[in-house]
Amino acid sequence: MTKPEVSTPRAAELCEELRKVAEKARTFNRLLTTDAKVAQTPKEVIWTLNKAKLYRYVPVKPETERHKLPLLLVFAIMNRPHVLDLRPGHSFVEYMLHRGHDVYLLDWGAPGPEDKDLRFDDYTLEYLPRAVRKVKSVSGSDGFNMLGWCLGALISTLYASLRPDDGLRNLVLLTAPLDFTDKTAGGFIRWTSDQAFSADRIVAAFGNVPGEMIDYGAKALKPVENFVRNYINLWDNIDNPKVVEAWHAMNTWVRDIIPMAGGAYRQLINEFYKENRLMQGTLVIRGERVDLGRLRAPVLNVIAEADHITPPCQSEGVMERIRSTDKEVFRVKGGHIGIMAGSGAEKTTWPHIEQWLAARTD
Amino acid sequence: MSQNNDPFNPFDPTGMFKGVRDSGMDAWSKMMIQFVNTDAYARSTAVLLDTWLAGSAQFRKALEAAMTQALTGLNMPTRPDVTRLAERLTHIELRLDDLEAKLDEGLRAARRAAGPRARTPKGSDPS
Repeated sequence: MTKPEVSTPRAAELCEELRKVAEKARTFNRLLTTDAKVAQTPKEVIWTLNKAKLYRYVPVKPETERHKLPLLLVFAIMNRPHVLDLRPGHSFVEYMLHRGHDVYLLDWGAPGPEDKDLRFDDYTLEYLPRAVRKVKSVSGSDGFNMLGWCLGALISTLYASLRPDDGLRNLVLLTAPLDFTDKTAGGFIRWTSDQAFSADRIVAAFGNVPGEMIDYGAKALKPVENFVRNYINLWDNIDNPKVVEAWHAMNTWVRDIIPMAGGAYRQLINEFYKENRLMQGTLVIRGERVDLGRLRAPVLNVIAEADHITPPCQSEGVMERIRSTDKEVFRVKGGHIGIMAGSGAEKTTWPHIEQWLAARTD
Repeated sequence: MSQNNDPFNPFDPTGMFKGVRDSGMDAWSKMMIQFVNTDAYARSTAVLLDTWLAGSAQFRKALEAAMTQALTGLNMPTRPDVTRLAERLTHIELRLDDLEAKLDEGLRAARRAAGPRARTPKGSDPS
């Protein structure tokens, strides 16, 4: 009777395997604990107010080849805007510069304890109009295009409705949370709609809402994806430099969390999520009622089909209310961040936005 | 990295983990997404957070009072003092920005009056 053959790893193979695992673990640890170089496109600060900064990216096209209208990017207030300029070769800002757009970015900055009472009123009617004035002054143009993302899109919508004659020519909204009619659409609205959830108590306790809290909330919407699969995917692809580079840049942005001004948080939960005032037509910003019917600029509304932070229904409803005759909804497969920063963004979202703007800019 | 077609390797912990993961990750993810989207989860986290905030409020108040007392005793500015100062600086910044806007407007009007040859070239900031 012969003995069955059992394949046993030899000592050398085992050592080699262990060495590879150790090397991967070292790389894994480095990626988790270090920052990648992000937001590297050359830019200059042209205006500041409190923590807010307005950047102008250095144009790469000669003036004769540039579009006439400047493009102002308005990002959300509870994250850094670096995701719009993630890394060389994969940057929305870089993409637009190379297609002749004069790009400006409004970075709201990280609020300090003294900013705990900042509200959407301040962002919309104190900061944004001043930044717009500066954009117009530096570019020498009376008009401008604006692109708002997430809460930046909310602020942009408020501004466009309240100041329709300020020179806004075209408005691009990305994953804009505007309509909170459906109280079961997504985790955020379910959590914050609960009777026991009190934004007032959170703000009373912290002043500004800690970035960690917001970060946890966003990740908890897809817990397995964010807390487990994200790291497993990295481990699986750790020998692939392209994947690793992309992951590192994205993780650097995700880790760079900032608090959200308490007043704005309270307003977001109470007036938008719970009472849906914007869509009800009862939202008042610095004494002015926000009427979406006053928004006349052409609108491109970009919706992420698999968005768990801003479900599509929170962005769609607004299209019926705005008065613009030139309006389009563009649905993209992907999530809240993925549609603009994912590997497919350069082939789907960016070209569509660029072509839409270019057709209306000259 | 473990290969899927490799025979079972007892010395490759990632290989074992991968097998377990591949068989259940999607189902686990879907289940968790459904779970966090339930009213029961929303209620329990809200109650938990509220309880914690209420419980820690007294402690925070006491700590703040003690810190304020200590800083005042040392003749040092307290948090509200620094906050007030920062607010004043922001107000000054706002006023400066208003002045800059007016100056800018004046300059543009003057250039318009002077004719097209005196206009600022595009891309330069006249202010």
